[in-house]
Amino acid sequence: MSDAVETHEEMQVDPGRNGRDLSKRLPYHVENPRPTNTVERFLDAFATVLEHTDYKSLLDSYSRTTNKCNRCSVTCPVYMVTGDPRDIPCYKTTLLLQIYERYFTLGGWVKSHFSQNSFELTDEIIEELAEVFYRCTACRRCTLECPMGMDHGLITRLGRYILSLIGISSKALQVSVREQLEGETHNTSKIPKPALISNLEFLEEEFEDAFGLKLKIPVDKENRDFVFFCAVSDYLMEPDTLLGNMAVLHAAGDWDRWTIGTENYDGINYGLFYSDWHLESIIKQLVGEVTRLKGKNLLIGECGHASRSAHDFVPVFGGKEAYPVISFLEYTLDCLRKGKITLNKEVITEKVTYHDPCNIARGGWIIDQPREILKSFVKDYVEMTPHGRNNFCCGGGGGLVSIDEIYDFRMEIGGKVKADQIRATGADICIAPCANCKKQLKELVAYHKIDCEVMGLHDLILKAIEIPGGKSAFERKEEAALYAM
Amino acid sequence: MQNWIEFAKGPLFALTFLFMVFGLGRHLVLQLDTLFRRKRSRLRHMPWGKMVKDSVGWALPVKHLVKGKVIFSNASFLFHIGVILVPLFLADHIVLWEAFLGINLPSIGPVFADILTIITIVTLLVLFMNRAFMRKMRAISRPSDYWLLVFITIPFISGFLAAHPSMNPLSWEAMFLTHLLSAELLFVLIPFSKLSHIVLIFFDRISEMHWQLRPGAGSRVAEALYGKEAKV
Repeated sequence: MSDAVETHEEMQVDPGRNGRDLSKRLPYHVENPRPTNTVERFLDAFATVLEHTDYKSLLDSYSRTTNKCNRCSVTCPVYMVTGDPRDIPCYKTTLLLQIYERYFTLGGWVKSHFSQNSFELTDEIIEELAEVFYRCTACRRCTLECPMGMDHGLITRLGRYILSLIGISSKALQVSVREQLEGETHNTSKIPKPALISNLEFLEEEFEDAFGLKLKIPVDKENRDFVFFCAVSDYLMEPDTLLGNMAVLHAAGDWDRWTIGTENYDGINYGLFYSDWHLESIIKQLVGEVTRLKGKNLLIGECGHASRSAHDFVPVFGGKEAYPVISFLEYTLDCLRKGKITLNKEVITEKVTYHDPCNIARGGWIIDQPREILKSFVKDYVEMTPHGRNNFCCGGGGGLVSIDEIYDFRMEIGGKVKADQIRATGADICIAPCANCKKQLKELVAYHKIDCEVMGLHDLILKAIEIPGGKSAFERKEEAALYAM
Repeated sequence: MQNWIEFAKGPLFALTFLFMVFGLGRHLVLQLDTLFRRKRSRLRHMPWGKMVKDSVGWALPVKHLVKGKVIFSNASFLFHIGVILVPLFLADHIVLWEAFLGINLPSIGPVFADILTIITIVTLLVLFMNRAFMRKMRAISRPSDYWLLVFITIPFISGFLAAHPSMNPLSWEAMFLTHLLSAELLFVLIPFSKLSHIVLIFFDRISEMHWQLRPGAGSRVAEALYGKEAKV
């Protein structure tokens, strides 16, 4: 903790933009004690990674083809704001590739013996690596415009992975993952099982208040079609999203088809941002829980990175337990198309826009599904420019949103472009179906004083859904208005 | 001089050309090895359709003229047309391919070839200026990024001048020899430099495959570094 306080103080005394020179200095966060002998240990870790993984061919190819054409720079929302060459995606990538070339290729070895000014790794360079890789939100927008097709997000991740092996990583992420993998609660928010149960009871009461319907959330039920995992922070911070999820499941008549497991109920996977080891271990926990409950599918709540890590990596790491992964957005759309749920077209009168979470949109997986849902019941829908695969990151991607120490960076640099984009739409509500994006965007609209409410897709569905036998959407709207007074 | 030209046209050409082919072949084999031996079973999860669509889109990159890089993107696109068509399909080169490889390629007319060559030289100049005079380009450029542009320009200029004696300030032999040697220098450089994207671009474009991580690798790395009891 002392480290975080120190670094925050450093930022405060640095002069510059709004009293803080953020473009020049951003602390990275290490756990105490600060690692020593970093150069040797970094190279050792790098060599071990190359030995056991498949990254060598990637680095072989990238280190030759990196063209340094700078097209990535015009796509990067961080570089757009800072104009600092260190924020050019290709610059970061080249830093890591240089180390690879120098220490792990024949050419680098030859050059180091015959050239006076060949590249040498120093503590300063490692420090710079740590800094630049945590200034990148790993949104992979640059990848779309790289003529070579290089994935700078993947390199950022690899760089962070090697750094994490020598003890340099974000403390916030590290502490969460430790609790998730080695702690008693097995979740990043450290919510113990009894707290989860009482939270579910609270949700049941809320649901009854809203719809006038009594129901019991299925816990640890076996042989269900869906085992539900959301970003565990939703239980604490986003009850409306969960109520929306519950409403859809109930209205669609699928109440007996899903369950929450109490051994493991956290879909968050910070391994996606910085560690192959953690990524795989967390995936194994998820599929292990589905196996324990004899479930058939993983149903992932509204969360970009949880959805992507499960969708992309359950097939890779799941082995025989590679259950199908369904995003809740896909599930809801399916219900809507089949006519299993009804959304009231009259209650939402505000102007609504949609923010594409990078993790589900960049790869082209979930772009049209939420739009189809929204357009089916929202009268005044407006798009951001650009959107879809080409969207801008919220500024808190790649795990940065969890790092409170870089709040200023997220507000003034990482999220600046997004803030302008939201303001330009003039929307009253911004839908962001992702726990990370929601936290960042809520902070962002408050910081930039934008008159726009940020919520999840199912928060809005909760307002408009009609459940047979329950209070109608209009009744609920009136009650809410009364309550607000 | 004539002997030098004969040497450069004959054995040296064959040697350097083979060098390039083997160099690029090595890249190809190494990448295919990763693709089909190491990752094979994991590749079926990849979004092949989307990747192919993306890659085909880049073949005619009109969609990718991003704001802020329009001059560079256009110059780069035009440059690639010239740099692919002229060396392969120029009438004088076709004779060479037939002699060495026994393949008979169609020829582009001399006028079209001249236009393409001039476009290539001009775009190379634009690319060089872009790199040299833009702050953000300089910041990420290494010496090789500049030198390669120069090395590519020499065979185009010397070839053009050799084909147009009226403009040639040197003797035809000297210019022709320069043309041959500079082209052969490029053959040697191709496998070592970023010009190897001739082959590697196809693998970079499917870099999604590198997200198909090797199962168990993460814990093996942790164990190798910190022992069996490795903690998060």
